[in-house]
Amino acid sequence: MPKRKAGETTIDEDLTPRKIRKAVRDDAEPIVSPQTAAAETPSGRKSILRGTPRKLNGIHSVEATPKSLRKVLFTTPLKPDDEVVQADEETPTAVGNDRSARRKSQRVLQTREESDDEDAEADEAIAQQILEGDAYEEDDEEASTRDEPGLIADTPSKSGKLRGRPKGRRRERTPSPVPDLPPHELYFFQNRAGGNKTSANTLPSHVLLDHDDYFAKINAYEDPHVADVERLKRLHKRSFDQWIFELEEGLNICLYGYGSKRELVMEFAEYTYGQAESQKPRVIVVNGYTPGLTVRDILVGVGSLIAKGAKLPAQPAAMLDLLMLKLEELTTTQPILLIIHSLDHANLRKSMTQAMIARLVAHPSISLLATCDTPNFPLLWDVSLTRQLRFLYHDTTTFQPYRVEIDVVEEVNALLGRSRRRLGGKDGGAYVLKSLPENARNLFKILVEEQIGLAESFEPTTTLGAANSDDDLDPDDLLGASDDEAALAEEQNTPSRRARGRGRPAKKAKVAARPVARAPAVSAMEGVEYRALYHKAVEAFVCSSELAFRTLLKEFHDHAMVESRRDAGGTERLSVPMGREELRRMVEELE
Amino acid sequence: MEYEKVYVFEPEGERPAKRRRVEPQGLQTSWRRRRQAFDQVWTVQQQALDARLESINASTVDKVWQFLEQATLDGQPGRIPTGIVLTGADGATGSGISKQVAERIRGGKHRRILLSLSSSSGTSLKALLKTLIAKATSRRTGSSDDDEVDDEDEELRNPRATGPKLLNYDLQLLQDHVREHRTEQVIITFEDTEAFDSDLLSEIIELLGCWQGRIPFACLFNIATSIDFLQQRLSKAAVKALAGQVFDVALSSAEIEQVCEAMFDTDTPLWIGSGLVSTMLERQHDYIVSVDSFVAAVKYACMSHFYANALSVFLEPGSESRDVGPDHIEAVRQLDSFKAYARRLLDDRQVAVLKDLLESGAALWSLVLDKVAEGRQKLSAMVQTLKVARLVQQRLPNTPVSSMSSLYVQAMSGKLVGSPLIRTLLLTIRKAPSNIVVDLLRELISSHTEKGTPTFSGCHEILTRFDDLIESQKHSKKPLRGEDDSQNTTLRTTVVAQKVELSKQKSALSEQDKKYTELLGLLTTGLEELFADNLVNPTNLVFHEIFVYDLKSPYREVFTPRPRHAIERALATPHDYLDCDCCGSGQGDEGAEATLAATQPATAVLYQLYLESGSLINAGDLWQAFQAVLGDGREEAETMALFQRGLAELRYLGMMKSTRKRVDHVAKVMWQGL
Repeated sequence: MPKRKAGETTIDEDLTPRKIRKAVRDDAEPIVSPQTAAAETPSGRKSILRGTPRKLNGIHSVEATPKSLRKVLFTTPLKPDDEVVQADEETPTAVGNDRSARRKSQRVLQTREESDDEDAEADEAIAQQILEGDAYEEDDEEASTRDEPGLIADTPSKSGKLRGRPKGRRRERTPSPVPDLPPHELYFFQNRAGGNKTSANTLPSHVLLDHDDYFAKINAYEDPHVADVERLKRLHKRSFDQWIFELEEGLNICLYGYGSKRELVMEFAEYTYGQAESQKPRVIVVNGYTPGLTVRDILVGVGSLIAKGAKLPAQPAAMLDLLMLKLEELTTTQPILLIIHSLDHANLRKSMTQAMIARLVAHPSISLLATCDTPNFPLLWDVSLTRQLRFLYHDTTTFQPYRVEIDVVEEVNALLGRSRRRLGGKDGGAYVLKSLPENARNLFKILVEEQIGLAESFEPTTTLGAANSDDDLDPDDLLGASDDEAALAEEQNTPSRRARGRGRPAKKAKVAARPVARAPAVSAMEGVEYRALYHKAVEAFVCSSELAFRTLLKEFHDHAMVESRRDAGGTERLSVPMGREELRRMVEELE
Repeated sequence: MEYEKVYVFEPEGERPAKRRRVEPQGLQTSWRRRRQAFDQVWTVQQQALDARLESINASTVDKVWQFLEQATLDGQPGRIPTGIVLTGADGATGSGISKQVAERIRGGKHRRILLSLSSSSGTSLKALLKTLIAKATSRRTGSSDDDEVDDEDEELRNPRATGPKLLNYDLQLLQDHVREHRTEQVIITFEDTEAFDSDLLSEIIELLGCWQGRIPFACLFNIATSIDFLQQRLSKAAVKALAGQVFDVALSSAEIEQVCEAMFDTDTPLWIGSGLVSTMLERQHDYIVSVDSFVAAVKYACMSHFYANALSVFLEPGSESRDVGPDHIEAVRQLDSFKAYARRLLDDRQVAVLKDLLESGAALWSLVLDKVAEGRQKLSAMVQTLKVARLVQQRLPNTPVSSMSSLYVQAMSGKLVGSPLIRTLLLTIRKAPSNIVVDLLRELISSHTEKGTPTFSGCHEILTRFDDLIESQKHSKKPLRGEDDSQNTTLRTTVVAQKVELSKQKSALSEQDKKYTELLGLLTTGLEELFADNLVNPTNLVFHEIFVYDLKSPYREVFTPRPRHAIERALATPHDYLDCDCCGSGQGDEGAEATLAATQPATAVLYQLYLESGSLINAGDLWQAFQAVLGDGREEAETMALFQRGLAELRYLGMMKSTRKRVDHVAKVMWQGL
C-alpha cells in the first residue's frame, strides 16, 4: 500500500488512525517489523479497515455509520497520537497475550473513548459492532470445527476461511426476530444485506469428475434409500386408477415434486395399456428435456396419429390449426393421451409454446399427463392458459435421480463457469482435430499452449496469494473478480486516497501494480487475446492472412472447441473450454 | 426411447405378467358400478349447469346478435360497426360471448366469419394481419353445402389462380376470399383488448377502416376496464373509424351464484358439504378464476366421492334391485352415523331391530336405501326452505338478500337454525306493517303452489284472517301495525337522581292492531317452525357419509398445489417422504428441527448446506462441507459424483445459478419458506 504510506508521511491528520492500527498489528505479531506489518494488512488483519465499513453498511444502524467511520479512519485529530501509542504500549503483556486483532483495536477504541467523551456514543457503536464481529468469529470457529474437522488443516489462511463460510451458523445464532414472519419479511430477513462474505477458496478442478468417471462412480454408487424410494413409488402407483379416471373425465394431470417422475409416468403408461380392454389407448410421449425440442416436434408427433399421411404445414401455428381441424372431423376416435415429461423445461418455457400446448389439450379428445420439476412452474400459465389446461395437480415426490433429464457433468461445469458446451471433452476434440488439416492442428496447439502458459503465469500468485506480496492486493482482486463489495470497498478507499491529495506518485504506483496483478488473472479466465494469437500463428507460418486465420478458427468454433468472448476492454479473447489437465494431455497428444 | 424427442408409446415387452389386467378386490369391486353412477349423476348436473350458464348471458348475446344483424343491413359507410363488450375484471376468461356468437353464426342464415384475435396473435401489424388472413381463409363459412366445401378445398390449394401473387398479409386476399364466398360479414373479436399494444391496435383499426368499403368488417372488443380507457388508448383516426355500441356481461360473481343455485336446485343425489363449498367460494372470490374452474371443482368433488367412497354405490339410481358384496354391508356398519343410530335404537330399547341390522345384510340394505332417500329428501327440503328465507328477505324492506351460496353454506353447517340471520328476519316481520306482511304471505303461498317450496300448516287460514282484518279496516288508508312496530312505541327519558333512564312506552293499540299483532305472532311462529323443521344439520342425518361430501383436502391438494413447498420439504426433511429408519430427524425433543445426517440423500444434504449460506456460495467450501458430512468412509470420487449430481439437480430446480462475480462461486436464487 505505497500510496498510504506516502500519505502517512505527509499528513499529520491521517497519522493517528494508522498508528493505531500499526500498533495493534505490532502487538499481534511482534516478530514482523513495522514495514512488513503494514504490508501485511490486506491479507490478514486489514479487516479492521475493510471489515468495519462492510459491517456498518450491513445490519446495524445506518445513521451512526458514516460519521463514526470517518472518525475512526481518518479524522481523529482530537487526540495526540503519542498518547494512543503509549496507552497501548503501557499494557504490552496483556495485549500481547490476546491474539485477536479486533479485540485489540476495540481496546484501543475504548481507550480513546475514555479520553474523548464527545464521541463516546459513536465509538461505542463501533466497539459494539466489533465485539459482535468477534463473537461471530468465535462462533465460526466453533462451527467449522464441528462441521469440517479436516478442513482447518487444509486451508492455508485460516482467517479467510473462517470469515467466509458459515454464515448460516451465524444466522442461526442471531436471535431471529419473530418465529413466524410473513413470507415477504422472511425474504428480507434471509436476504438481508451485510455479511455476505465468502472465502477465496477455489474448487480444485481436478476433483471435478468428467463424464466417464462420473458415470462410473454414480453407477457404482448404491443408494441406501433404494427400498424407501421404491416404497414411495408404490404409494404413487396406487393412484394409477384414480389418474385414469381423472383423465377419462376430461381433466388433465400435472405431477410435481422432487425427483424424476419419468419412470413412474412410463409405468403409468404401461398400466393404462394393461388396463384397457379392447381399444388400446394411443399414447404419445414427449421428452421435454431433450435438447432442441420444439413445439413443432410435439405437433408432428400428434399429427402422426391423427392426421396420418397428411402434409403438415411448416409453421407450428398453421400446423396446430390443421390438427384442430382434423380433431374436429374425427369425432369418434378413442382419446389420445399426451405424456409430456418436464413440461416446464427450458425448451418449452416460451409462452407461445405453452399456449399452443394448452390449445391442443383443451380439445376434449386429447388428454395430457405432464410432469413439472421446478418449484415455480405454475407461473408459466396465466388465467386463460390454466383454464385451457384444466390441470389437476398431484404431488409425486419420488426422490429418484434426474438420470435422463440432467447431464450432470455439463450442468455443473456450466454452473461453475468451467468449460461449457464442449464436444465430448478431450477425446471429441482430438477426434475433430484428426480430421482437420495440419495447419489447423498447429493453430490449435498454439492456442492451447498459450492458454496453459497464461494459466501458469497467473496461477501461483493466487495460491500463494497475499502471503509474500507486499502490495495492497487482496484476494478478491487477485482472482480477477469484481465482487460488488470489493468494488464498494475500493470506492470507499479511493476518495480517501484522493483526500490525501499529495499521493500522486503513489497513485501511479497503484495503477501500475494493479493491472500487473490483474491482467493475467483476467486472461486466464477469459482466454488468449485474438491479436496475440494471430501474430503467433503468423510467426509459426500457420497462416498468412487474417482471412485464413479466421477460416481456421471457424472450424473450431463449429465444433465448440473454441469459445470467444469479449473482455471488459472490448478485446476479443479466445479460449479452449477445457480444464488445464485436459489441455496438457491434449498438447501431448498433438505432439 | 428416453432420448427420443417425441414418440408413440408402445408397451415394453410382451410379457403377459405386465399386461395382465389388475382385477379390483374388496370394496373396489363396486368401482365399475360407482363409475356408472357417477356418469349418470354428473350428466344430469352438467346439463343443468350448462343450461344455467348459457341462459345467464342469453340476453346480451341476443343484443350483440341483433346489433350484428343490423350492421349487415345498414352499416354506416366508412365506419366499422363495433360491439364493445364490458366483461369486467375477469374478461380474459369470459370468452363465452364470442363462443355463443360463433355458435349462432353456424346456425345463422347469413354467411359470416368470426375471427378472434388475441394479444398473442402477433406483435406487429404484419403478423397480426397474417394471422387474421390465415384464420379467415382457412375457416369454413356458415353454410356447409358439400359442393361448397369441395370448392373451398380446391380454392385453398391454390388460393389465387389468376392475377399476381400477393403477400400473405395483403388484405386483398381476404377481400377475394370474401367475394368468392359471398361472405356478408367478417367479425373480428379482440379477446383481450387491454393487452394489445395501443399503437398496434390503433393501426389495425385504421387499416380495417380503410378496407371497410371492400370487406364488410365488424368488430367485437372484450373490455375489462372502461370505454374511456379504450378511447384514450386509440388514436383519433381509429376512434373515428368505429361506430360502437356497449354491451354488458354478467359478472363472474353472478355467474358463480347461478352455478350454485343450479347445483343445489337439481335433485342431485350427492350434496356437497359446507366446508368444501365455502373453501371453493373463497378461492373463487380471492383469486379471480373462471366459472369453468368452479364447475371443475364441483365435478371433482363428485368424482372424488364416487371414486373414493365405496358406499356411494348406494347412490346409484336403481340400486335397490342389485346386490353389493358383503364388504360394503360391513363397511356401512362402520360408519359413525350408523353407530350413533344404533345407540339411539338401544336407548329406545329396540334391541331386536338393531340385532337384525347387525346380523342381516338385507335388513341393513333396505335401511340404508330408506335412510339415504330420506336424507336426500330432507336436504332438498332444506334448500327449498332457504328459498323461502330469501323470499322473505326480498319482500321485507331494508333487508339485504343473502346469496343462495352463503345461505347454503350456513345451512349445511347446521348453524342457520337460531342464527342471528333468521332471528332478525322474524323480528323484522313482527315489526312490519300489514300491507307488506300480506304481500309476503301471498308470495309464500304462490311460490308453494308454483315451485313447491315448503310452507307451514295453516298459512292459508292466516291469510284469510289477514284479509278479513284488512277488509274491516278498509276505511283507513294506513296499514295496520303490530305491537313491536317502532311507530307504536315511544322512547321516554326520565332523569332520576341525575341519571338518565330510557324507558319504552307502548302506545295504546287499537282493536284491529291487537288482532293484527296476534296474527303476526301466528305467522312468525309458523315460519319459525318451518325453519326449525327443515333446516336440519346434515351431520345428524343417518348415513350422511353416503350422500354428503365434505372433504376439503383433495380439493386443496389438487387445485391449489404448493409445489415449491413440496420440493423444499422433500429436500429439507427427506424423512417426511422417505419414512426411513436412518434419517429420522433426531430422537426426542429435536424432532421439529431438521438436522443434517450423512444418511440423508445427497441432494438433500447439499440443499441444507445451501440454505445456510448467503446469496453467494463458494463452491469449494460447499464441497468441503459436503465432504465433511458425507465423505466418511467413502471414496472421494464417489462423494464428488454425489456432489456434482446434487449441484446439477439444484441448478435444474432453479435454486442456484452461475455467477461471474467471483471465481468458483454460485449464486443462490431461492430462499426457503417464502
